[in-house]
Amino acid sequence: MRVLGIDTSGYTNAIGVIDGEQVLADFAFEAKTDSLQKIVSHIDFALKSAGLTLEDIEGFGVGLGPGSWTGIRVGVTVGKMLAFSTAKPLSGVSTLEVLAYGAGDMVTPVCPIIDAGAGDTVYAAFYSARDGQICRNGDYYVGNIAGLSEMIKEPVTLLGSEAYHYRDLINSEIGTSGISIQAIATAPGGSAVAWLANRRLQQGDSDDVLSLTPLYLKESTARVFRNKYLAQER
Amino acid sequence: MLLLGIETSCDETSAALVADGKVVLSNVIATQLDLLQKYGGVVPEIAARRHTELIGYVIKEALDKAGKTLADVEAVAVTARQGLIGCLLVGVAAAKSISYSLGIPLVGVHHIEGHIFASLLSNPRLHFPHLCLTVSGGHSMLLHVQDCCRYELLGTTLDDAAGEAFDKIAKFLNLGFPGGPVIDKLSTQGNSKAFRFPRPLLRANNLDFSFSGLKTSVINAFKDRLATGEALPQEDIAASFQEAVVDVLVAKTMRAVDGREVSAISVTGGVSANRRLRKVFQESCQKRGLGVFFPELSLCTDNAAMVAAAGYARLSRGEVSDLNLDVIPNSPLELQRGG
Repeated sequence: MRVLGIDTSGYTNAIGVIDGEQVLADFAFEAKTDSLQKIVSHIDFALKSAGLTLEDIEGFGVGLGPGSWTGIRVGVTVGKMLAFSTAKPLSGVSTLEVLAYGAGDMVTPVCPIIDAGAGDTVYAAFYSARDGQICRNGDYYVGNIAGLSEMIKEPVTLLGSEAYHYRDLINSEIGTSGISIQAIATAPGGSAVAWLANRRLQQGDSDDVLSLTPLYLKESTARVFRNKYLAQER
Repeated sequence: MLLLGIETSCDETSAALVADGKVVLSNVIATQLDLLQKYGGVVPEIAARRHTELIGYVIKEALDKAGKTLADVEAVAVTARQGLIGCLLVGVAAAKSISYSLGIPLVGVHHIEGHIFASLLSNPRLHFPHLCLTVSGGHSMLLHVQDCCRYELLGTTLDDAAGEAFDKIAKFLNLGFPGGPVIDKLSTQGNSKAFRFPRPLLRANNLDFSFSGLKTSVINAFKDRLATGEALPQEDIAASFQEAVVDVLVAKTMRAVDGREVSAISVTGGVSANRRLRKVFQESCQKRGLGVFFPELSLCTDNAAMVAAAGYARLSRGEVSDLNLDVIPNSPLELQRGG
């Protein structure tokens, strides 16, 4: 199956094109401020590099985040509307899972970490390999590094663009507990998005093109304040 | 030529199908009224999230209602300028994707230009040149529409938009959101001469507006009465406030007619739905032998049909946006002046 994968939740427009097991194109364009402006041109470039046109694509994958809220909306809206316009299936995938997939064969559990853009708040999750599949252990984590450190009870490999920075922070939190923390600096890749989407689409599992929404994991600040206010009223 | 219009610049998610810039086949508008009432106004992040949830449904419904499929669509027009950046972005991302998928032209439109075309769309007898007063919760502008897609900005608000003043006064009086319709309704039962509120900038030698001071004056009058224990007739406050806004809008527009070769006035935007404003404009224009035109009610507030109409005008002039179209939250309309 030929699948186009898109992830714009970070600082790049990550675009990948795969045909089954084969990667035909995989690009990450710096797009911290011009993600929307360039996204369709980037997709066009990736398709041309793969020697394909949009009509050749049989399914779409899109990174749902977590990450930059505005950034995710670009990729998710583009993914939804490309799938809608071409009447092809769409699969949304967690960007944390995309990072975990990028780690390849895992010997130890991995913990992808994404900056949540508010102080030292991060989005994270733990994944391990079972029967050749990546499985998430427990819920997504949203909170500070101290809280995340408390969850680490066994050797783990941190993933993400700031993995080394977080390793230092976590090491200073857990001190001399003797738990080995590895780090691999990595960004979500378009072909990883496409591969995870392909795996679902092959099983006939896809998302509803119209209702698919980003994985924000955090409420908007206005909603948080309002809920606090209402709680005080009570 | 069949155009798909998309509008997400503020809190309305809208898609429309318009034939040849004239015939509205569908105009689907999903309001965020529930959110507005909950938060007492537009919260950009919450509005952007809602646009992302709704955009696909709204486009599909616009196609279904018009009895068309995407294959029938020949071009996509989208609001790309003037509005909340995170909200504009959702519409533009959708429009680009559709344009690219179908291999059809894309055209980015200025939101205010959309409002100008809302009136043209509703009134085949409205021609160029004319004056356009566009008043809503987000803007208040007086424009000389010299020709198709040629505009001169004559005046604008220095602080609050007219509709914003309605919203804030309604919020202060605990009347809910949005304030326009509720003040319009309440005013019919009130005495518009009960309070003598200021007419800001009425005597100033320009065509600009200011509503912030008027708003403060209304709030102070309310508080004074509250302090002295006098009755607080909400109807009278609403009617007197509305009369002050209407007076200024009409007077300044009439002043703009002087020395310009215009025979018609067009009043657009959400506030143009106000019944008192329509009535006073009709009376004043009749006296001076001017034509006056308003959009039909469904085209007063933000909608995608007006965006499709403006986009068609741009396309007819050979103007097409490329796939690198970006959003600009604050963009002067004059930048768009062609010809």
